[in-house]
Amino acid sequence: MSERDARTGSLSGLTEAEAKEFHRVFMGSFILFTLIAIVAHILVWMWRPWLPGPGGYAELQDGIQMASLTASAFFG
Amino acid sequence: MWRIWLLFDPRRVLIGLFVFLFTLALLIHFILLSTDRFNWIEGPGANAPTAQIEQSLG
Repeated sequence: MSERDARTGSLSGLTEAEAKEFHRVFMGSFILFTLIAIVAHILVWMWRPWLPGPGGYAELQDGIQMASLTASAFFG
Repeated sequence: MWRIWLLFDPRRVLIGLFVFLFTLALLIHFILLSTDRFNWIEGPGANAPTAQIEQSLG
């Protein structure tokens, strides 16, 4: 373990050019993965938020019912 | 930043990362499925107790 590569002189066996090339692909994939995860979290938060607040999840539900009752009173 | 790949073998890093992320994703999905609020298959109230049969002896 931790022996320098005979070809490149680096611990991993990559040359600087190879390391830069791999880094480009790695960072691109990482950013894509992160963007997809952010979109997924936004969608799940719209579906059901996971931080209920001091009144619990019922508070959120009451707010929705209040809003829908108010809306139906105005718009039938 | 790219010099990290001179220290760590990309093959091992990728395998470790994939295994870690897959295990974490599996864990989180099963935890969510076990809850009432975030179970997206059965929906809320799926595990609510149904009508109980009362039985008296004698």
